[in-house]
Amino acid sequence: MRQVLEGGEPFFRQGVKAACLLIHGFTATPKVMRGLGNALADQGHAVLGVRLFGHATSPNDLSRARWRDWLADAESGYHMLRGVHKDIVVIGFSQGGALALLLADLFPLRGVITMSTPYALPPDPRLKLLRPLLRPLSAVWRFAPKGKPVWHDAQALQEYQAYPVVPTRAVPEVDALFREMRGVLPSLRLPVLLIHSRQDPFIPPSDMESIYAALGSAEKEMVWVERSGHILPQDGERERVFEHVSEFIRSRVADRK
Amino acid sequence: MSEHASSRTDVHRMRSLVPGAEPFLFPGGEPRILLVHGFTGSPKEMRWLGERLQGAGFTVLGVRLFGHATKMADMLRARREDWLACLEDGYHILGGPKSRIVVAGLSMGGALSLVFGSRFPVAGVAAMSTPYELPAHPLVRWLRPLRGLIPLIGLFWRYASKVAIGWHDAEAASDHFEYPAYPIRSGLELDELLLEMRRGLPAISAPVLLMHARHDPAVPPAHMPAIFDDLGTNDKRMVWFEESGHVLTKDAQREQVFGEVADFVRRVGGGASWRRTADAVPGDERPGGGQG
Repeated sequence: MRQVLEGGEPFFRQGVKAACLLIHGFTATPKVMRGLGNALADQGHAVLGVRLFGHATSPNDLSRARWRDWLADAESGYHMLRGVHKDIVVIGFSQGGALALLLADLFPLRGVITMSTPYALPPDPRLKLLRPLLRPLSAVWRFAPKGKPVWHDAQALQEYQAYPVVPTRAVPEVDALFREMRGVLPSLRLPVLLIHSRQDPFIPPSDMESIYAALGSAEKEMVWVERSGHILPQDGERERVFEHVSEFIRSRVADRK
Repeated sequence: MSEHASSRTDVHRMRSLVPGAEPFLFPGGEPRILLVHGFTGSPKEMRWLGERLQGAGFTVLGVRLFGHATKMADMLRARREDWLACLEDGYHILGGPKSRIVVAGLSMGGALSLVFGSRFPVAGVAAMSTPYELPAHPLVRWLRPLRGLIPLIGLFWRYASKVAIGWHDAEAASDHFEYPAYPIRSGLELDELLLEMRRGLPAISAPVLLMHARHDPAVPPAHMPAIFDDLGTNDKRMVWFEESGHVLTKDAQREQVFGEVADFVRRVGGGASWRRTADAVPGDERPGGGQG
């Protein structure tokens, strides 16, 4: 009688190099970060892939989640890694990227990497219309269908683990989380790497440019990917994404001891 | 970084976790130990034990249960399945079934550890100050017949006052963090969890160490032998403490508690050898006695 979905468990690998905290996206599980985590661990990094509240169990649980629960889980991951290595880098995918940037506002991180991270809720006109009503509406309309997935690597799609629906009550929480993220961007000063696909069917590529422009960091960098969809750590160009992540950590973190 | 810190007057303004009450991970050797805090408590109450076990060479993870170490209202959204999921998280972070893992919990954390031990392969379970059923809080007696209505009642009557947990070490008490009341909705979750625990006790085959304060004012001492009797394992042992209250991991006799847990972990975590000693020390009840 397990609670956490098989394959969606959080993971940890010990290492001697800078510790990496990996944060998955909305409705997904730590599995989306596992390939990247293993690649970094193989290079000697300590890696921790956390599970955010309401994820990797049942969509009903996600209906009970508030954005601060997710931040609390990200903070928990940070505190666990503090006992492992003095240098901590946080890597977040999609909504996980917003949590990574919020963590950078709270704790002395060595760097943040975001992948496919939205600047705001996706610009769906229906969403814009419903946004103020979602909270009360979610009492009766509990789950919204997801759009058709657009992947470049069909085999990787089979590996992707996420709820098939979006709990409507969680959408205003995601909205609030991005608002918090936008609020801290100008005060951040740490090195930040942003990665986004020009082919992202879900989060417009211009969202990366918006985050980049708002970031207070002097050391910030944008990397474009061409042959992946939204799920950068698992889709077609994942190896290139992993290389950019390692290169960023090597040049911006490891060389500054 | 210093520039960042100095440019803000209140750098902690958005932290979700109560400072000092955060979870912790201390890497070390095998076996690995999962520490689980109690109802309305936080990882802080397990930290001293964790530091002591790290000093003994073990890997230690002190998990945070959902709704804890943030703000009390968060607990109202917590279900017992969320807490069990947090133990699973910790178990997998420690390496999962491939590793030798001992689970140790205080109070409700002990109950969660026992439930976990009845469902997952573990090297051992240590349960401290653990209730067999909901303690006789005055509310419990007359809320129980209304249990079906508790989610509803909990909507407008949210919190119940706490019972004394009986500290002997005042300094340790002042370092303790817990929410100031019991969320009523969560009491139902605890009640259901203890039911699951009682059902699971006969299925536990791993070695179990139980510890309780003889004068625990929060969970009556009789609860320990009740758990002991139902346990399926032959390798089980009870240890009594005379000079501590409910929070065994922090109160006056904590050093003896740490020693008992360390001895237990050393014995059950050592690969195949624990099986040979399994039948050698059943039900040793020496008060506060060591492993010898």
